Amino acid sequence: MIRFDKASVTYPGGVVAMKDLDLEIGDGEFVVIVGLSGAGKSTLIRAINGLVPLTSGGLDVNGHDVPNLSAKGRRQLRAEVGMIFQGFNLVDRTTVLNNVLMGRLPRVPLWRTLIGKYPDEDIQIAAKALDRVEILDRAYVRATNLSGGQRQRVGIARALAQEPKIVLADEPVASLDPPTSHVVMKYLQQISRDLGITTIVNLHFLDLATAYADRIIGLRNGELVFDGPGSEADEHTFRDIYGRSLTADDTMAKQAAL
Amino acid sequence: MSDSPLRLPPKPKPSPWTVGLSLGMVVFTVVCARTVGFSFSGLVEDLGRTNPVAQGLVDISWGEMFSERSRRAFLETLQMAVIGTTAGAVVSLPIALWSTEVGNPYLIPRVLLRSFNNVVRAIPDLLWAGLFVLGVGIGALPGVLALFFFSMAVIVKLTADTLDGIDMGPIEAAKASGASHTQMLRTAVVPQILPAYSSYVLYDFELNLRASAVLGLVGAGGIGQRIDFFRGRGDWSKLWGLVLMFFLVVVVVEWLSVKIRRRLV
Ligand SMILES: Nc1ncnc2c1ncn2[C@@H]1O[C@H](COP(=O)(O)OP(=O)(O)OP(=O)(O)O)[C@@H](O)[C@H]1O
Ligand SMILES: [Mg+2]
Repeated sequence: MIRFDKASVTYPGGVVAMKDLDLEIGDGEFVVIVGLSGAGKSTLIRAINGLVPLTSGGLDVNGHDVPNLSAKGRRQLRAEVGMIFQGFNLVDRTTVLNNVLMGRLPRVPLWRTLIGKYPDEDIQIAAKALDRVEILDRAYVRATNLSGGQRQRVGIARALAQEPKIVLADEPVASLDPPTSHVVMKYLQQISRDLGITTIVNLHFLDLATAYADRIIGLRNGELVFDGPGSEADEHTFRDIYGRSLTADDTMAKQAAL
Repeated sequence: MSDSPLRLPPKPKPSPWTVGLSLGMVVFTVVCARTVGFSFSGLVEDLGRTNPVAQGLVDISWGEMFSERSRRAFLETLQMAVIGTTAGAVVSLPIALWSTEVGNPYLIPRVLLRSFNNVVRAIPDLLWAGLFVLGVGIGALPGVLALFFFSMAVIVKLTADTLDGIDMGPIEAAKASGASHTQMLRTAVVPQILPAYSSYVLYDFELNLRASAVLGLVGAGGIGQRIDFFRGRGDWSKLWGLVLMFFLVVVVVEWLSVKIRRRLV
C-alpha cells in the first residue's frame, strides 16, 4: 500500500509541485494520473521510489518510510518498485536481455555484475519477463534495432524482471503512435491483473485514461482535484481537472484524426 | 518552367575575427622563423652539399633491417608498447569514470583526480622516460613506465570527454531499479563508452609505438636505443635501414588499427 500524508514537494527555485497531498493507493490497483503539463504528475510518481525527495509530510510505500530511508533502504525500496519511462531509457548498445537483466541488479552480487555473468535463475526470470511481453525471440538483438513499441515492451520487461510489487510508468506511450500505445497499455493492464501489481501511470490523453484506468487521479498545480473510478470520469470531470475546455490535443483518437 | 538561374542571398563577408586571426598567424610565423634564423636559401645550400647522413640513405643497409639484434630490438619495442598500453588502459577506465560527474558524485575527489591527470598529461613522454631512466636505470623498464603514464594521460582524457556526452536515461533506469553505484556504472555507463574507449586504446597503441622509437634516445630501451647506437657510431646506412624498417612496422600497425577502429565506432 502507498500512503501520502500531507506530502509536499517544493523544488529548489520555489516551484511547489506537490501541495499537502493526502492519498492512499491499495495493493493491485491500476491508477492513472492526469493533469496539465506542470501539474505535478511526474513529481508524484518519482516521489514514490524516492527519485524526488519530499520537502515535508509523510510517505509510506509497502512499509518503507520513504522520507527517512538510508541509502541502502532506498535501494531496497527501489528493488520492489519497477519504473517505465517515456524515453524507454534502454542501453542502446547492448542486447535486449542485458537490458532486462538490469532489473535483477539488486539481487546479483557485484562481482557477477562486473564480469557480466548472471546466475541462470536470474536469466530465467528475465526470459519470463520478455515472454510476458512477447518479445523473447529478440533477446539477443541490440536494443537499437527495435521499433519504439518493442523498445517500450523491453522497458516493461525490465521492470517486471524486478518481480516488483509496484510499477510506475511516467508517460509510457507519449513517444508512440496510437495503435502501439494501445498495445503497450494492454500489456500494462494485463500484467497488473495477472500478477496483482499495483500500477500507477501518467497519461496525457484522456481517452486512454478512461479506457484503461480502474481509478483516475486528477492533479492541478500540485493539488489533488479529482479522485474516482475511471468509469465515472467524463468530459465535465476533465474540464474541472484542466480548468479549461477540452481540445483535440487532449484525446489520442481526435489528435490522430487531425 | 524556365531555367532562369536562382539568385542566392548575398554572400556573408568573412568576419573580422577570421581575417584578423589569419593575418596574425602569418605575421607570427614569419617573426618566429626570423628569430630562429631560418632561411630558405640556407636550407637549399645545406641539402645540396654531400653529407654522410644523406649518403647513408643512398647506401641503405637492407641487411640491418632483418639482423638478429634488430629483430630483438623491434620485438622489445612492440612488447614495451603492448605492456605500456595495456597497463595504462586498465587503470584508465576507472580513473576516467571517477573523474566525471556521472561516475563520481563527490566534487573534491573528482577535481583532485582531474588535476592529477592534467599534470600527468602536461609532462611529455620523453621527459617521463628521462625521469624513469634516472630513477630505475637504463633499459626497457623505464620505457614501459613512461608509456604507462603517457597512456593513462591520453586515454583518461579522451574517455572522460566521451563520458560527459552520454545518454543519462539508462543511468536513471539503473538507479530506479535499485542498482548500486558501481553496478550502475558497469551496466548503464560502460556499455555506452566501450566502443569509443577501445578505439582510444588502439589509437594510444599507435602513439606508443611511435614514441618508443624516441624513448630509446634517452636510454629507455627498444628500437630507439639501437638507432641511437648507430647514430653515435656515425653508421648512417645501418641507421637508415632501421628507420625504414620502423616506418614499415608503424605503417602496417596504423593501417590495421584504423581498420579495426572504423568497425568499432
Ligand atoms: N528538477 C526540477 N527543478 C525545479 N523545478 C522542477 C523540477 N522538476 C519539475 N519542476 C517543476 O515542477 C512542476 C511540476 O513538474 P512535473 O514534472 O511534476 O509536472 P508534470 O505534470 O509531470 O508535467 P508534464 O506533463 O510536462 O510532464 C513544474 O512547474 C516544473 O517546472
Ligand atoms: Mg512529467
